[in-house]
Parts: sequence; structure tokens; C-alpha cells
Amino acid sequence: MNATAKPASNGVEKVSVRDLQFYYGASLALKGINLPLYERKSTAFIGPSGCGKSTLLRVLNRMYDLYPGQRAVGEVMLDGQNILDPGLDLNLLRARVGMVFQKPTPFPMSIYDNIAFGIRLYEKLPKSEMDGRVETALRRSALWTEVKDKLGANGLSLSGGQQQRLCIARTVAIKPEVILFDEPCSALDPISTAKIEELIDELREEYTIAIVTHNMQQAARVSQYTAFMYLGEMVEFDATDAVFTSPRDKRTQDYITGRFG
Amino acid sequence: MTEIAMPQIESTNSRVETRVKAVKRFASGDNFFRRSTQGAALVVLLLLGGVIISLIQGSIPAFQAFGLGFFTTEIWNPVTEKFGAGAAIYGTLVTSAIAMAIAVPVGIGIAIFLTELCPPGLRRPVGIAIELLAGIPSIIYGIWGLFVFAPFMQQYVQPALIALFGDVPLLSSVFAGPPYGIGILTASLILAIMVLPFVTSISRDVFETVPPMLKESAYGVGCTTWEVVANIVIPYTRVGVIGGVMLGLGRALGETMAVTFVIGNAHKISASLIAPGTTISATIANEFTEAVGDLYTSSLIALGLILFMITFIVLAIARIMLMRLDVKAGR
Repeated sequence: MNATAKPASNGVEKVSVRDLQFYYGASLALKGINLPLYERKSTAFIGPSGCGKSTLLRVLNRMYDLYPGQRAVGEVMLDGQNILDPGLDLNLLRARVGMVFQKPTPFPMSIYDNIAFGIRLYEKLPKSEMDGRVETALRRSALWTEVKDKLGANGLSLSGGQQQRLCIARTVAIKPEVILFDEPCSALDPISTAKIEELIDELREEYTIAIVTHNMQQAARVSQYTAFMYLGEMVEFDATDAVFTSPRDKRTQDYITGRFG
Repeated sequence: MTEIAMPQIESTNSRVETRVKAVKRFASGDNFFRRSTQGAALVVLLLLGGVIISLIQGSIPAFQAFGLGFFTTEIWNPVTEKFGAGAAIYGTLVTSAIAMAIAVPVGIGIAIFLTELCPPGLRRPVGIAIELLAGIPSIIYGIWGLFVFAPFMQQYVQPALIALFGDVPLLSSVFAGPPYGIGILTASLILAIMVLPFVTSISRDVFETVPPMLKESAYGVGCTTWEVVANIVIPYTRVGVIGGVMLGLGRALGETMAVTFVIGNAHKISASLIAPGTTISATIANEFTEAVGDLYTSSLIALGLILFMITFIVLAIARIMLMRLDVKAGR
């Protein structure tokens, strides 16, 4: 348990970030982050643009690894295993830690294949079983009734909100343990946003969730824990209620009351 | 109140008037712009129509003399004035097909390497080298082909092929005959080298248009680089890639100078790939100066018309293929 994380009794630490530093080339973007993600809870990362929220998220599934010159130092433990270990199987890690992006990114294939594609990477299933998995994933992301008659249609033919739910379904379909959301509603209208938020709240019952958001109300609505970051530092981490009602740090208070950011 | 309001209304009126004037001025400018771009577009249609008409007109005597047999006859004899396009059509199609069979996989492979795998330091030099390759005039490929590449083929490659496939039933006739160095195979290889930069640079450009987030989300479900390329990058860019392939094919079909140097210019259809042959464009380039008779000239123009038709058919097939792909992808 680290110093900033007070409520120890509230669950199992699925992910523990310990003294994490992150570099873009020579510039230091994360300055010694310590943070737990509790199992079956949502943790929101808030903070002004450029504070390192998205960077932190991209460390959790090693997405930064795709780009030369980006590197992380420290420890990120997932079930007791350090995922920053250079010998780690990245494909396996990314199957365990799913990610949903700012903009919907359906694959250039049919709705059905968008879901089945990820499953096929790991499992050889007979058609009937695959159909079941696809249906479950689509039901899980509240999309089934809208698309069940056009599973063969291209994923890009859906509306923005539907595409984003398709991306969530795709992530859920491969049965990850942790799901990372990087501002998942920033490109969506309020109704789609409400649907996605509801969905995230339901998913929390089964998964460990981390969500980056610029929307303070959203953080308050969907998360049990909130981490406030500022200029690459973890300023405050606590239960969401505590952060929003009685922030301990002046900077947190200024940010959530809208004085900067 | 009214005294204060009056000048405001006046100034509003005059402002509206100046705006109306300005908008009118814009409208006439717009009109001029529309007409001039429209004109430019129509010129293209006129030119295309003119080319087709003159080709058809010029080739009428040849088709009157030889009928539809012109397409299939192998004989090309200026002395007796018997002409047929068979050998040239065959040579054009075969050299282009072999060239594309080599250049497309290699070119797409290079593009994948450059966009997905290449260390950043190597990316620019290789990219620039590819573009320089595209910029080399075809006459240089021709000279190099005749003086360097053909002797190399004659000494090493062709004897090896003949020896290797000599005892294999079907392939023995594909690689039969004396190793001249020049011939269909050599021309095909030169064409492949010439087409390669087109396929590569266009594929690379379109691969770079794939949004990073889309690739990341594929990596995010646990794809390997190969799975991302095969399932995301290529499907996402297929229209562009096919466009690049078609541009390359267009160049291969019409390429004249380099092919003329190394193909051997024999009006013969031979089962062997190492035998000399000819293509439509090589025939025209070689013989237009000596075409004295009307029938001879007309036959050469008819060859040109056929090349035009082949290119047109290739483009049409590409369009149909793209439409099929779209239907399959559920668009």
C-alpha cells in the first residue's frame, strides 16, 4: 500500500503502479506515479490537458511500446507480475488489458467480424459457439437489439455512439481483466454518452476499470476512485466522493471547482 | 431614443448594401471559376474522344484487310504485307503478368516494412531510393538491360533454369531453347524493376493514412504486427493499393523503350519464356519509321488501338473488383 492511497479495506489491488516515470525521448512526462487500481472498481484519472493521464493509461497496456523513443521506468504490477518486464508477451498483456479509445475505431470489416476477430486470435471456436460469443458481447454493450438484423454490415455504417459501443463489445468479447477507457465519450453526443456511462458502470461489476476523462461530472458519475494528476504528478488519489467533496490538496480543489484547467 | 436609433438604422442599411455588392462580386468570380474548371474538364473528354476516333479511323484499313483474325494471327510480314497482332498481344500480356507477379508482393512487402517495421533511421534513405528508382528514365533501364542484365541472364540465370527444369514435364517447355539473354523473361524482370517503385510508393503512402488509433486498437485486442497489417492496414487501404497496382500495370503494359531493348523483337508466340518475343509498344516503336505502305501503317495504328483497349479493360476490371470488394465488406 502506498502513501497516497488511503482506503485499503475497499478491495484487492488488481494493478499497482509504483514509482513510475515515463519519458518521451528526453522529456519526463510522468514523475514518480504511485497508484492502485482496485479490482471491480472504476478509477477515474482527471486533470488538465497534458498532465499525463493518457500517458499513464497507455503504460498500463504498454501501448507506448509501438513508438520508439518512449519508455517507462518503475513498476506496474498486474496480479503481482511486473508488466514493464521487457520479456513480457505484449499480445497476451493486451488481451488481458483491453482499451477503448477517444474516437470510435471500428475495424474495416463487418459488425460480426469486428467482434469475432479478437476472439479468433486466441480461440478456435465452432460457428455456433462464436455466434453465441458475438451475441453475448453485443448484448453486454447494449448494442444487440440495434444491430442484430445487420451483423453483416460494415462496422463503419453505424452511428458514432453505436461504433463506440461496438468497440466496447469488441474489447469485452476477448474477456479482458482490466479495461482502459481513454476519454471514451469525447466524440459523442449526450445521449450516447449517457449510454456509454451506464455501460461502464455495469462493466465495473466484472472488470477493473480505469477511465481518463475531462468531464468532472462524468468522473463523479462512473468512478469509485479518482486520481487527480497535474504536470506529470499524482496530486491526489482517494475515493471519488472524498476527492469531490473534501479535496486535501489546494490544486485539486482549484481544478474541480473550475478555477483552472 | 429615436434620435439615437436613427443613425444606427442608416448605418445598418449602408452596411447591408455594401455586403450585397460584395456578394455579387463574389458570385461573378465564382461563376468564372466554375466555367474555367468545367472547361478544363471538358478538354480532357475532347482529347480522349479525339484519340479514340483517330485510332479507330487509322486502323480501319487493317481490319478491312485482315478482319478479326488480326487479333489472333501470329504472322507479321512487311514484305508480303501480312500482319497480325497475336504475338504482340501475347508478349504484352505475358511480360506484364510476370512483372506484376513479381512487383506486387515485393512492393507491398517493402511498403509494409517501411511503414510498420523499419527503424526510423533507415526509413528515409530507403524511401528516397525507391523514389529515385521511379525517376530513372526508361532508356537507362533499356541500356542497362541490354549491356549488363541480359549478358548476366545469358551466362548464369537462363542456363541454370534450363538445367533445373529440363527434366520436368511441363516446365521443360516453359524454359526451353538456347539462352539468348534477351527475351520475354528478361523483359519481364526489367519491367518488374520499373513497376516496383510505383507499387511501393503508393502502397506506402496509403499505409501511412491508416489512423494510428485504429492500429492501436488492433494491437489493443492483442494482434501481432502481421495480424494488424493483414486484417487492418491492407483492408483499410485496399482501394489505394489496388490503385497503385493498376498504375503499375498501366506502366508495364505501355512501357516501350526498355522492353524494346531486351525483348528480342520476334513476332513469334513461343511456349518458352526465355525465347525472344515482342510487345505492342515495342513493335510500334521499332517499326514506325519503316512503315511505308498504307496497310503497314494502318496495322501499327491498329496495334495502338488494341493496347488502348487492353488498358481500358484492365481499368474496368479494377473498378469491378473494387465494387465487389465493397459489396463483400458490406458497404
